[in-house]
Amino acid sequence: MKKNKNIYTKAVLGLGLIVAIAVIPACKKSFLNVPEQGKQNSAVFWKTAEDAGKGVSAIYGNLRSWENTAFPAIAIESMGSDDAEKGSTPSDASFFNDFDQFNVDPAQGNIGGFWSGQYRNINYANQVLDNVPAIVMDEALKARYLAEAKFVRAFSYFRLVRAFGNVPLRLTTPKDANVDYNLPQAPAAQVYAQIEKDLTEAAEILPQTYPAADKGRATKGAALTLHAKVAMYLKKWSDVATYTNQVMGMGYSLLPDYEKVFRLENENGPESIFEIQCVLLPGNPDASNSQYSQVQGVRGTSGVDGGGWGFNVPTADLAAAFEPGDPRRSGTILFRGTTTPEGDVIPKVGDNPMYNMKSYVPFKLYISNFNEGAQQNVRMLRYSDVLLMNAEAANELGNTGQALSSLEQVRRRARQGNPDILPAVTTTDQTALRAAIYKERRVEFAMEFDRYFDVIRQGRGTAVFGPKGWKAGKNEVWPIPQTEVDLSGGVLIQNPGY
Amino acid sequence: MKRIFTKFSVLTFLCLLFINAASAQNITVKGTITDGQDKTTIPAVSVVVKGTTTGTQTDANGKYAISVPANGTLVFTYIGYNTQEVPVNNQTTINASLASSSQQLEQVVVVGYGTQRKVDVTGSVASLKGSEISKQASTNPVSALQGKIAGVAITNTGTPGSAPQIRIRGLGTIFGNQAPLYVVDGVWYSDINFLNPGDIENMSVLKDASAQSIYGIRAANGVVLITTKKGKLGSATTINYDAYAGFQSVTNKVKMANATEYGTVINELYTQNGQDPLFKDPSALGTGTDWYKQILQDAFVMNHNISIAGGTEKSTYNVSLGYLDQDGIVKTNNFKRYTARVSNDIQIFKDLKVGYNVTGVASQSRDIPQTIFHQMYSASPTISVFNPDGTYGDPKLQNLGDGANFNPQATLDYFNQQTKDYRVTGNIYAELKFAKHFTFRTSVGGEFGQMENRKYNPVYFATTAQKNDVSLLDLKRVETRNWIVENTLTYQNTFNEDHSLTVLLGQSAQSNKAYTINASAQNVPFNSDADLYLSLGDAATRSILDQGSLIKFASYFGRVNYAFKNKYLLNASIRADGASQFYGNETWGYFPSVGAGWVVTNEDFMKDQTVFSSLKIRGSWGKVGNASVPINPSQLTVSQTGQLIAFFNGLPSTGASIDMVVPPAIVWEKGIGSNIGFEAAFLKNRLTVEGEYYTRKTSRAIFAIPALMSLGTVTNDLIGNQADLQNSGVELSAAWSDVTGGGLTYSIGGNISYNKNKVTSVLSGKTPIYGGSTGLTNGYVANRTIEGSPIGEFFGYKTVGVFQNAADVANSPAQAGALPGGFKYADTNGDGKINSQDRVPLGNPNPKYTYGINTSFAYKNFDLALDFQGVAGVDVYNSNLAYRFGNENFTKDFVDNRWHGEGTSNTYPSASIGSSANSAPNSFYVSSGSYFRVRNAQIGYTLPKSILTKWKIQKIRFYANAQNAINLFGYKGFSPEVGPIPVDNAEKILASQTNYLNAGLDANVYPLYATYNFGVNLTF
Repeated sequence: MKKNKNIYTKAVLGLGLIVAIAVIPACKKSFLNVPEQGKQNSAVFWKTAEDAGKGVSAIYGNLRSWENTAFPAIAIESMGSDDAEKGSTPSDASFFNDFDQFNVDPAQGNIGGFWSGQYRNINYANQVLDNVPAIVMDEALKARYLAEAKFVRAFSYFRLVRAFGNVPLRLTTPKDANVDYNLPQAPAAQVYAQIEKDLTEAAEILPQTYPAADKGRATKGAALTLHAKVAMYLKKWSDVATYTNQVMGMGYSLLPDYEKVFRLENENGPESIFEIQCVLLPGNPDASNSQYSQVQGVRGTSGVDGGGWGFNVPTADLAAAFEPGDPRRSGTILFRGTTTPEGDVIPKVGDNPMYNMKSYVPFKLYISNFNEGAQQNVRMLRYSDVLLMNAEAANELGNTGQALSSLEQVRRRARQGNPDILPAVTTTDQTALRAAIYKERRVEFAMEFDRYFDVIRQGRGTAVFGPKGWKAGKNEVWPIPQTEVDLSGGVLIQNPGY
Repeated sequence: MKRIFTKFSVLTFLCLLFINAASAQNITVKGTITDGQDKTTIPAVSVVVKGTTTGTQTDANGKYAISVPANGTLVFTYIGYNTQEVPVNNQTTINASLASSSQQLEQVVVVGYGTQRKVDVTGSVASLKGSEISKQASTNPVSALQGKIAGVAITNTGTPGSAPQIRIRGLGTIFGNQAPLYVVDGVWYSDINFLNPGDIENMSVLKDASAQSIYGIRAANGVVLITTKKGKLGSATTINYDAYAGFQSVTNKVKMANATEYGTVINELYTQNGQDPLFKDPSALGTGTDWYKQILQDAFVMNHNISIAGGTEKSTYNVSLGYLDQDGIVKTNNFKRYTARVSNDIQIFKDLKVGYNVTGVASQSRDIPQTIFHQMYSASPTISVFNPDGTYGDPKLQNLGDGANFNPQATLDYFNQQTKDYRVTGNIYAELKFAKHFTFRTSVGGEFGQMENRKYNPVYFATTAQKNDVSLLDLKRVETRNWIVENTLTYQNTFNEDHSLTVLLGQSAQSNKAYTINASAQNVPFNSDADLYLSLGDAATRSILDQGSLIKFASYFGRVNYAFKNKYLLNASIRADGASQFYGNETWGYFPSVGAGWVVTNEDFMKDQTVFSSLKIRGSWGKVGNASVPINPSQLTVSQTGQLIAFFNGLPSTGASIDMVVPPAIVWEKGIGSNIGFEAAFLKNRLTVEGEYYTRKTSRAIFAIPALMSLGTVTNDLIGNQADLQNSGVELSAAWSDVTGGGLTYSIGGNISYNKNKVTSVLSGKTPIYGGSTGLTNGYVANRTIEGSPIGEFFGYKTVGVFQNAADVANSPAQAGALPGGFKYADTNGDGKINSQDRVPLGNPNPKYTYGINTSFAYKNFDLALDFQGVAGVDVYNSNLAYRFGNENFTKDFVDNRWHGEGTSNTYPSASIGSSANSAPNSFYVSSGSYFRVRNAQIGYTLPKSILTKWKIQKIRFYANAQNAINLFGYKGFSPEVGPIPVDNAEKILASQTNYLNAGLDANVYPLYATYNFGVNLTF
């Protein structure tokens, strides 16, 4: 019995020990102090030059996003034009028709998609602009990083202001829900002023060219060209002339063959001023996420992969807008029943008679499990735009000779040495020349998401889009996304007419 | 298989029917049976000759007469009284007075950290015996609760091996885990898929906040306490073998259009779109392929369970092994589960007991692609499964476009994915009694689990659109390492016989660690499973993502139960929980509760009444918490994703930045519940009735509120404690059990519950939160949550008809995309145009009523159980109908009723049902989701003892069971029981949170099926 009692005591003591071992750690204050697993804390970011570099790369990387290059961009920047229509099969994504016919509901998701896509660009830029100045690093590189961020921020605000008019102007990262989350709209003029400020500052710093390893970053030429474009929208003609003249002295040139401008081998070529860089990176579908070519690719390629969804297709009106024999027609429009220069056969029968040739990537480059055409850069600013802006500004300023000369550079290239087509424009009448430049802009930049807002800034919305339902006083801008208006609780004012 | 079983069972039953117990030298015995206390006679007492099925019952005056062997024994049984056996010994008159069994009073229920006499419980606790669970053909124990307990709603999913959805008293949380807390032998789980139903001894459901709050931290969605089977002290070794086998067969299949019908309607669609008809002569297409017939099967299922239990004077043991092999109703789908369980309790000393439970489970699932359900629904019937040359029928060759460009058979054939789960869990405990009234218990539990999912996509060519050029091996592995330590000290004493007091003090600590690896590589060769390692793939394409989470809890709790003269009951408890995922001042949460009860029938003034056998009134209040919510970042974290990689000169450059704002700190979701109820028994405890009314408020519910997009964050939601929800309802249950004079023992129970779900406030106020896009096209969403409405109500346009012609369109309010044959929507705000402002609430996906009727009958050696169950007051959104991108198939119902010209229909639209105008969420797609079903029908036969003793067998019972054989509902989809959206195992094992704003959308749902099985219960 005594032995038993001993064992009993031991057992109870042992038990007590086990309990103590289990309980004591739990009583320690640090027991509940568990760091977040597998996430880098922002407190240790934005400390080094490498962090700054990553932050800038993130700005560029995000430009490939769906919102920047696919459905939302098509809906806001292309569908309204007379160049493009929905495409694909009739029932698929038929909301595009609501943009095409100007009866879109403010709650339509792509309006919000475009809005949020631009504000994400702005946030990535603001992150750099807020955090990089305090990093101890090479000052020249730091200044360039900040200038690159300003360029993208300006580009995004430009896309926003021409799409929506008055928009919240967010120039720092959001800090406090009670202070700077729910910003009111700034007047469009104020947004434009900020865009110009950013671009002026960017152009001062950005280099004219980069070493090969940095090809694809925003250059001085890009900042000046974008500034020229913004000035053109503001009808600041002498500024347009100044900036374009500057760019024209930087050594850009037009490629001899228009169609080749949009092929992979000429990405970042002599005509390129700014492109959204897209690559098909094996093993990394996340980084190969551009759907720009995919959504516009040929639908129904009869058993061959590499086509696409067939949205945003050229209209018959666009096909008829080219002068006889203009090679840009086939450089812009991929017709059914034809064979591409790379040998892809587009079957005769299919959903749509035409597709966007400028987003075309040869089918053989398709790799399964990746988006079709994921490698295609999106041409955002081209040298021919500089020339035509220069021509337009010169004409508006009464400098007809300069206008005709710049215009002729664009037409000459288009002509590709064929004397029988695209005769030089010779009119010196300001109105007739203005019309000729407008027409040239249409055929030169067709399907490049330029036409819709170009016509509006020319003040010709009713004349050109009226038959489709465009109304002056309303359709100059799209509606502010309804969810954003709702969430703002009365801070955001819906655009008139919506 | 079906035929073999039918034959087998018929033969068995015939044989058994002719076996009869012999009897000899009978005498007639008469007598009167009275109540031992008040000496009144008792009618309908069962009088049975022991060891036989011969029996009668007392008449209205308590008298009986029976022929019985002179040396036999009579057994008197009556509900609510102790059974009495009297040897006949040649007596001809045997009067017996039965002592009222205190069973009703002494019935013990399992509550948090202990047990309580049912009569002492002041909260709402319902229990179900293990036998009720294991006798059903449900492979998951939770599924067996369906229709059994008021206030517990189960929504089954068809995927073998997946857990059903359980809601206790409505939906009280939206984000994070809304499943209840499961406590198995003291160890906490959020899922009990690992548990073999055959191992369960008892399941207790804690329904109200006062019963739950002792589990503070995780109690807000209810608590299910499970005790597993144990051996009995001093009992001989018993071996149980339970097995069943059967098949599962699809019921209520939706009839799809045949090839001719399909061709006809597709041609209409083309014509409406201004295209040439696709099919020259639809009538020449014949009936075509029935994809459901091709892909679905009658699926075999079998389950074996063997357990060995027993005990010596000082120890008990129970060892069980289980094996489940279940085919899915989709060909190739299969789930196998092996379970092993050991439990052992040893009384080392008179006052010290130690023991352990260990469960090991291994399961293996051969998965199917989740898209297969939508593919069967939408695949063209004009495509043959295989061409004469053995290749797959190719939709592209018929120019079917991109909407229906798949051959479901090819999808299935080239899908190679398996999920395995290995898990060891259990606990070890010691219990020490000291100083007469104290019990100290310590328990250490843990769970070590590894789940792995392997998918291999080979290089293949099946059809133009179904092919793969680069093989990909995808591996996902999730490891779970959890531990829990709990110590409790209980003091129990009764003072002066009148004051009964129990005090509990406890402490608990736990840690939950999950470790996830998600990896893939291209070009891994595949000759056998031995090749499926990432190291064999292209190094450049290898990607590995390694993530984890760690949460720790520390808790202290206490409870006092006091009863005065068994009349007045008082319970109070409090729990303090610290949780690592809440920071700052919010780390600790405090959860008090109180409850009071009055046993009216124990009052002196009730002594002489005869209406109530017992009556108790009780009320309670308590607070509970929900810590199982998404972990919110307390600080900004850096995002470094593939999408942020920039390319310079064509080469990648890592991008990283901050694309979030610090969300409001997430704190406890707190529930406050109150409950009042009564428990009454009538007619000598034969009839019991319980009723309760409850309210359950969830304050600071975690909700994702859309954030301003201009913040530029990568997700457009901010998660935070931003809503208050309320569930309130009434539950009623009644049970009647009796034995008739003819020897029929039976019981009939019914329960019904009503629950109303409402969002009482939400930070976004009147700004709705939209969700629910499953099966919806064109960016539409069908659910919204707004103040004053149920969570996730359906929201959209109200259809008032179908446009008949162009004039009709012109004369109606302006509507984008309006065409003849399209839906005409109501201009609810009367502004003369149809736009998103005209949308109205269309229905409620949260069921208002759930009910069940459970019956059992036993007569001689036969037993029969019939269970019925249903829900009412709920709506379903059939998103299958407009889930279209092109030439998907239509249902036969749609084909028969569609608009195809002026005057043909004013309810069903034209073939353009998928257009953006028609596919916008609208009332056409919403219908009642009410159903009524025969949940279980089971008939059993137990072999007479007389034969068994010869075989040294204690019991053999054979049975046949049908589950879900009859389902009645008006809904035109597969099943109105629309559970959680089926998620591929590959995604499920990584999923950290579910959004229940997506409720009630029927797209891609596993069809309903019935299970027919035959089984045997054997006891040695």
